[in-house]
Amino acid sequence: MALHLNLLHEEILEQRQRQRDPLKLGVLALISCGTLMFLYYSWSAYRTLELKSKLGAVDRAWVKLEPNVTAAQKKVAELQNIIKTTRALDDYIEGRFFWAPVLQTIARCVAPNTQLTSLDGTVLDDGKGVNVTIEGVAAGREPRAAAEDLRQMLAEQLRQNYSDVKVEFKALEDLDTTVNLGGTRVPMARYNLNVTFGPKIAAQPTSTPSARQKKRS
Amino acid sequence: MTGSKLTKDQIKKLALSVMGFIFLLYVYFTFFLAPLQRSRADTRRKIADRQSKIDTSSEDLKKAAKLEQNAKDATVRFAALRKLNPEGAPLAWFPPRMKGFFASEQIDKAVARLEGSTDLKQEELSHWTRYNWDIDLPQTDYSILGKAIADLENAEPLLCITKLSIRATPDQPQFQHAQLAAANLVEKK
Repeated sequence: MALHLNLLHEEILEQRQRQRDPLKLGVLALISCGTLMFLYYSWSAYRTLELKSKLGAVDRAWVKLEPNVTAAQKKVAELQNIIKTTRALDDYIEGRFFWAPVLQTIARCVAPNTQLTSLDGTVLDDGKGVNVTIEGVAAGREPRAAAEDLRQMLAEQLRQNYSDVKVEFKALEDLDTTVNLGGTRVPMARYNLNVTFGPKIAAQPTSTPSARQKKRS
Repeated sequence: MTGSKLTKDQIKKLALSVMGFIFLLYVYFTFFLAPLQRSRADTRRKIADRQSKIDTSSEDLKKAAKLEQNAKDATVRFAALRKLNPEGAPLAWFPPRMKGFFASEQIDKAVARLEGSTDLKQEELSHWTRYNWDIDLPQTDYSILGKAIADLENAEPLLCITKLSIRATPDQPQFQHAQLAAANLVEKK
């Protein structure tokens, strides 16, 4: 076996020590890490700028759209308000009580021997009913029966169009005076009817009430 | 053998390098990367916000167009109802209007008096006022009155008769005396 002599071992050791210098290694590691971090930072910054540019584009689109949207929102609010108000007005209009059909019904019920002297009608505050007071005089052999006929006729006619109809005598009294009816003198009675009824079932405002007139006192 | 051992000076340098490295990491993450990430998150949030606004607004625009189409009837009706009442104080135009209306119905004497006015409680009708009127018809006939009331109820949808009183006139048996209490809705101007 040949003998090898290393006469440069000191120099080689020194070189190896230089190569393994921790400070040098550390600086190298630091530079590598720094480079990596810089690259990552640059990548992140690029992505951020990209996002900012996207935001700019979205902002421009929004600025372009905003006046139209504001106008549309205003219009929607205005239209909704109009719809609500119109609906409320329609409810008010539909909820009104129409007197003409009642007057027509009363005129239809009054016979020649049952004259009305006054009629007072009131729509109750809550709109759930109507109160009518009718005063008049009835004449005939049986004046009370004539008044009762009127009461029954009113109840019957009103029930056709209204709910909860009540027709009651508040007063019914014989009078001392007599009246000439068809050439015969007959006794008279004064009546006071109280009529109450609820909302109509299907009555609508009529354009022309019956031509029949109330008998004049 | 002695080559792999670190000298005191080298350990010192190594420790310093490690500290420097940690400091560098701290500075990098805290002062460079964190603001960048915050800015990115903020930008993303803004984009999402704007995008949702754009999406919502597109729906709003469609909704507005659809509503405008659907609300045509209501708009026309609302305009018609508004037109029923002229400009100006109701006291200035309502009594002459009633007088003219009843005159056209063959009831010559008609006097309308303002009893008062109230604001409507309903939110939808907050821009409308209810005017209460007392309409006096001293000389009328039952059938003529009935026809006039029917025409009035048809011609004036915003008018509602709340009370009605008809009495025979003792000295003029051919006439009746009628009084109406009516409420009329008028838009506040």
